[in-house]
Amino acid sequence: MISIKGQRQGILILFSDAEGATWAAQLDELKAKLEQSGSFFSKARMSLDVKTLSLSLEELQAAKNLLEEHRATLWAIASQNDKTIANTRRMGLATDPNKEDPPALVNDVVAKENPFAAIADGTDGLLVQRIVRSGQTLRHPGHIVVIGDVNPGAELIAGSDIIVWGKLYGAAHAGSTGNDKAVVCALDLRPTILRIANMTRRVPEDKKRKHPKPEMAKIVRQEMNIYEWTP
Amino acid sequence: MDSVVITITSGKGGVGKTTTTANIGTALALMGKKVVIADADIGLRNLDIVLGLENRIVYDSVDFVEGRCKLRQALIRDKRAGELYLLPAAQTRDKTAINPQQMIAMINELRDEFHYILIDSPAGIEQGFQVAVAPADRVLVVTNPEVSSVRDADRVIGLSEALEKGPAMLIINRINSARVRKKDMLSVEDITEILGSQVIGVVPEDEEILSSTNRGQPVVLNSKGSAAQAYRDIARRIVGENVPLTMPSNGSFWQKLFGRA
Ligand SMILES: Nc1ncnc2c1ncn2[C@@H]1O[C@H](COP(=O)(O)OP(=O)(O)O)[C@@H](O)[C@H]1O
Ligand SMILES: [Mg+2]
Repeated sequence: MISIKGQRQGILILFSDAEGATWAAQLDELKAKLEQSGSFFSKARMSLDVKTLSLSLEELQAAKNLLEEHRATLWAIASQNDKTIANTRRMGLATDPNKEDPPALVNDVVAKENPFAAIADGTDGLLVQRIVRSGQTLRHPGHIVVIGDVNPGAELIAGSDIIVWGKLYGAAHAGSTGNDKAVVCALDLRPTILRIANMTRRVPEDKKRKHPKPEMAKIVRQEMNIYEWTP
Repeated sequence: MDSVVITITSGKGGVGKTTTTANIGTALALMGKKVVIADADIGLRNLDIVLGLENRIVYDSVDFVEGRCKLRQALIRDKRAGELYLLPAAQTRDKTAINPQQMIAMINELRDEFHYILIDSPAGIEQGFQVAVAPADRVLVVTNPEVSSVRDADRVIGLSEALEKGPAMLIINRINSARVRKKDMLSVEDITEILGSQVIGVVPEDEEILSSTNRGQPVVLNSKGSAAQAYRDIARRIVGENVPLTMPSNGSFWQKLFGRA
């Protein structure tokens, strides 16, 4: 019943307040999603929207602990219930993720960009027009599209595809929530680490290519291969 | 006064931040500007040594922040270069002695009186770096023509973008044109292709730097050497003069590099 959304401020988890939607059941669901997602949420900043659910300090704390176990940081809880809002404040968390900014996390620059709604398949995406530099991580549950280079030491983690209109020299993980249909495309595809779903491969360290060709990595019959990319 | 605060940083240590800060600051002062160069490398200060002002330190920036002196009292005038002042760092403290807010407040006090305030950043990307860039209007990133240094420069450029300091500008230090030609060393083009930043200066490897550092005399004070000239050119670009990126000593090579621009 929960759903996960990429947002300007990071990742938002929407809970349901429909009748019969218990907190415990939804936390179990979240736990299962976190476990499926591998490293996707690690170092991510998360906020919750718990609608009108009336939640105790312990119940909120349980959600915070669960996220921390997956190395994510909870920074805000949006709610329309006075008791829940009071408890959120007591935990020292923000109550309006749309108005406040998440704590600056120099490693995670997702907050600076605007996700766009991809028209093609209805999947969300993150469009970035700049150089993604060493030490920066872009993370999005949908596609990631970069118009610019991704330098060594930078990291892209996408639930779906990764498309780089430029050089991809950093680390790339497409289909990070287990989607093995995801692809990684770049005008110059030489990531330090290339991962799709649960498969990892290193790209041969060949000499600097004078005229790199656009390429696409994808999994075909349990094997990750690199093909010419002819969009 | 329309002052400009410029932080010189790099990520990696030993690439030439302190040498660059001392020389650009001195060159700006020799051009008639009122300049402060502030050492933000608390605990590992050496801007005073490079300027030969070590023996004149009475108070430092930590003394000011902790209320033991006025800011004026901590400034040391370098009479060789007109209106040039050093704001030394404490040697016996660590990077937590000044926080970013205190740094901003301190530098703001200087803005009324000086044209340029240059801040020499410590290595790294932790607290010391954050404090050094906090008051900056512009960030200059120094890199050497080698992969690890360029990687750190990339990291630091990203961080200063995230801190909304605008696009950092690049100083490529210790370039050796013969080694670039032999492809032992990254070229200016290789570096700008990776970093995508504007280059404000290219400083050659120059033996004179070492001896001038040991004597406490920045090369721009009296040398006609190629590094000295490169530093003077950077100072002129900082004040807004249009100085093309060429090197007098081996012009044809540099022209080839930048001719396409
Ligand atoms: N252009 C240059 N040519 C030769 N030596 C240099 C040059 N720039 C810096 N150096 C030397 O490199 C060393 C480190 O310089 P320094 O300015 O102290 O670096 P940082 O402040 O980044 O640690 C010093 O010994 C200095 O003399
Ligand atoms: Mg130094």
